[in-house]
Formats: sequence, structure tokens, C-alpha cells
Amino acid sequence: MPLKRNVSFWEGLKYKGGGPMWAWILHRLSGLGILLFVGLHVLAAFLTAQFGSDAGIAINVVYESWAFQIIVYFSILFHAINGLRVIVLDFWPALLEYEREAIWAEWSVIVPIFGLATYIIITKALGG
Amino acid sequence: MQVTLKVYRYNPEKDKKPHYDTFTLEADPTERVLDLMERIKGLQDGTLTFRRSCAHGICGSDAMRINGMNRLACKTLVQDVGKKITVEPILGLPVIKDMIVDMEPFFESYRSVMPYFINNDPPPNGERLQSPEERERFDDTTKCILCAACTTSCPSFWANGKYVGPSAIVNAHRFIFDSRDQAAKERLEILAGQFGVYRCRTIFNCTLACPRDIQITKAIGEVKEAIATGKLD
Repeated sequence: MPLKRNVSFWEGLKYKGGGPMWAWILHRLSGLGILLFVGLHVLAAFLTAQFGSDAGIAINVVYESWAFQIIVYFSILFHAINGLRVIVLDFWPALLEYEREAIWAEWSVIVPIFGLATYIIITKALGG
Repeated sequence: MQVTLKVYRYNPEKDKKPHYDTFTLEADPTERVLDLMERIKGLQDGTLTFRRSCAHGICGSDAMRINGMNRLACKTLVQDVGKKITVEPILGLPVIKDMIVDMEPFFESYRSVMPYFINNDPPPNGERLQSPEERERFDDTTKCILCAACTTSCPSFWANGKYVGPSAIVNAHRFIFDSRDQAAKERLEILAGQFGVYRCRTIFNCTLACPRDIQITKAIGEVKEAIATGKLD
């Protein structure tokens, strides 16, 4: 009896696809991160407005914390810029020959913007 | 140099689960991984099972995961992968024994895109002529050797085996953009379906895995564009 299709989540994750594959994985994870943030936001607003519940305030404290803000900020920034890269490559397939260069260009936009914003968030958080 | 080869093993007559065996052998840096596997089979363990035929990168029999990435064992030099080498079967197809997978689902997808020349006009006296530019249009996708390295490196295919996969799309591309062929419309309709080109997420694993250096993601993008615009320019 042959084995069933020999692929699992971990087997797939171990595949060495390199930068482009990790950009895709990060795109999915950042999408989930954004969904989590929006979900928490809606849930907190609903609990506070509907029941005047302390749980809503507790959730607010979590997603308004500076560490959470950094994660959310990265998720949105990466998801947006990476999404633009994929859209550009999908619209102009000829550019797919420069896939690696496109990923470098993407990070060259993300890193300075994210670095600057993170610096501001952290200094404000620690500086009061 | 001394090389350690960690090999995925599965014998359906003995094993309930796959396991790994490790072999140590002397090798030249310029030897190929296939040479090491031949030597293990010949001198250390005759039960080691893998496909090989031409052993020169043309037949596409020996695609396998070498150090975590799809490659042809006959085109991968020891010096390119280091002294510790792990060899596993390609992902997403049922393992029959050791490195041998059931290729039938892969070929079923291949057949589904009508990968053959269709022209219902009466044959001319001579050849069906084509300009160099028209021939160049699909030159890249004529190079496919059906090794399945691309399809089995694709996360969309891992997630759903019904996706026709990069290789079938490459072989459809070869005829869709051939000026002498007349069935582009039918092929584009097949590829616009639920398990066609739109399962591609532009992940790029296929292009990096292709031992023939075909620009596979670009070919898939061109097919997507042809479906969207109805043009074959």
C-alpha cells in the first residue's frame, strides 16, 4: 500500500523555498494578524458599548499596548507592500523574471518605514 | 571527502511509518548525488529504491528533495550541497517505496490540459511555417522534462492535489502560444476553472525548483493574462 499524499503542514514549512516562499508565508501570517487586530477592536467596542463590560477595556489595554502596536504596524505595512508587489507582478508577468529584485525592493521600502515608526513608538512608550 | 547521506526509507511490505537511514561514504566534490545513491545501492544496501534513467538531466526521473529543496539527483553536485546530505521523495504525491512516488496524479493533470498539437486544417504540402518570433514566443516552455520538481514544490498543490499544478500549466502554455495550434481557447477555459491557474499564489517555488531554468511563474502569469484579456500577444 503506498502512503497517502506525503505532505503535512510541517513538511511544507521545512521546504527550502527561500525568500519568495517566506514572503508568501509572512503575507498569510500578517493577514491573520490584521484579522486578529480588527476582531479584537470590534469585540472590545461591542462589549463596552453593549454591556459596559470591563472585558472590553481589558481587550483595549492589550491591543493598545506598544508591543501589540508594533506587531500590528508590521502586519499592515508588510501585507500592504507585499500585496502591491504581487499585484504588480500579476499585472505585468514579464517582470516575474525580476522576482528576487522585487523582494529586495520591497524590503528596502519596509525596513526604513518600519524602523522609523518602531523607534518613535518605543521612545514614546519608554519616555512617557 | 567523507559524506553522510541521510535517506528517507519506506518499504510498504515492512514499515508502518517512514524512517531515515544514514550512510557514510567517500565522495569527490564533483560527484553527483545520484552517483552516491548508485554506490549505496550497489555496495551497501541493495534495497534502496529510486528512479533513474538517462542520468543526464533529460529524462526527469530522479527528481527528489535534496537538503530540503526539489532538485534532480543527476544534476546536483556534492560540492553544491555539502558533506551532510538529506534525500527525501518529492512532496504531495503518494510514496510507493523510498524515493519512488506515484506519478499518476501528476500525469492526470498533465493530460487534462491537452498537451498536444491541435490543428484541424488539412496538412499543407510542406511544413506548417512559423516566423522566428512566433517560435520564440513559447520557446521557454518547450524545455519541460516532466520531472514534477515544480508541481511538487508548490504549496497550493500541497494544499490541494486537484490543482493542475505548474507543470501542466507550462505544458499548456507551450501550445496556447504556438501560432500553429488552434485549441488555445479550450485550454484557457480548462485553466480558468476551479483548479486552474488562479490557484497560483505567485509563491515562486516552482521557478526556483525547475532544473531546466524555465520561467514557470512568468508562464503562469502569461496564461492568467491571456484568460483575463483574451489576447495571445
